[in-house]
Amino acid sequence: MKKTTKKRCIFFGIICALLIAVSTWYSITYNDSRLVEPMNFSEYVFQAKDLPMLLSGVFLALYILYLFIQLIRAIVVKKRKETGMRSTRKLNPKLGLFGFLGFFGMLGFWTYSVDKTIFPFAFFMFFGFFGFFYEGKMSDTFMDERYQENKLKAQFTANKIALSIIFLAIIILGRGALLGNLEYTLIALIIIISLSIALETFLSEYLLYHYDHDEQSFQSEE
Amino acid sequence: MPDFECRLKKYRQLKEMTQEQLALKIGVRRETIMRLEKAQYNPSLKLAVDISRAVGVPIEEIFIFD
Repeated sequence: MKKTTKKRCIFFGIICALLIAVSTWYSITYNDSRLVEPMNFSEYVFQAKDLPMLLSGVFLALYILYLFIQLIRAIVVKKRKETGMRSTRKLNPKLGLFGFLGFFGMLGFWTYSVDKTIFPFAFFMFFGFFGFFYEGKMSDTFMDERYQENKLKAQFTANKIALSIIFLAIIILGRGALLGNLEYTLIALIIIISLSIALETFLSEYLLYHYDHDEQSFQSEE
Repeated sequence: MPDFECRLKKYRQLKEMTQEQLALKIGVRRETIMRLEKAQYNPSLKLAVDISRAVGVPIEEIFIFD
């Protein structure tokens, strides 16, 4: 993202924050906190005094849309740059330590027992970050046609394994609720899908390194 | 495993080129040249043509298929 775009995002963000602050103050002071405090919108009737809050809400929505468009543009530009690159990205293998974040998935068992929250199970996906260890080892490697072939082969194998696991899990879990409890079945599915995504992310990097490393072990005879 | 004979090493050495030099000339990694010389990698047509031009020998004399 360009510096000017970043500055523009910050500038518009500040304007939005100011507009919301001013309109909230106006609503609290002169409009009985309408549209600030929770209200029943099924009985809502428009009043002229609501305009500042409504306008600031519209500006906020437009700002969020603007941020979203900028994000998409930044992703597209980055992708274009990457396809034009002849070497792999520079990455520190130590980033693989982020894989330990996957253990936060265990929190799901605790949060489920406390208030039935199940989203922490999705943290198991972070185990895939262990793949950074192998990607880091292949950092700044020239991508010739053999590398591209190995990359596709590794991604294909990893995808196939992950999809097979998900497919089998859905068939097995779909046959009947786990332990007669639909919630447990849902939790098991979330855990299995999260772990499969992690496995796919990790395996594609591991296999690529493995294919390339095995080949490099052949010593040259110049 | 590709089933062919590769005589790249012979022609490269005749040209007095190292694997590194050949790799640099045709825009691949040295490891790719190593695999090619051991007939363990089946190159694309473009790479085969580039190799042929680099060592100055026709493709069919470098890669021998049964």
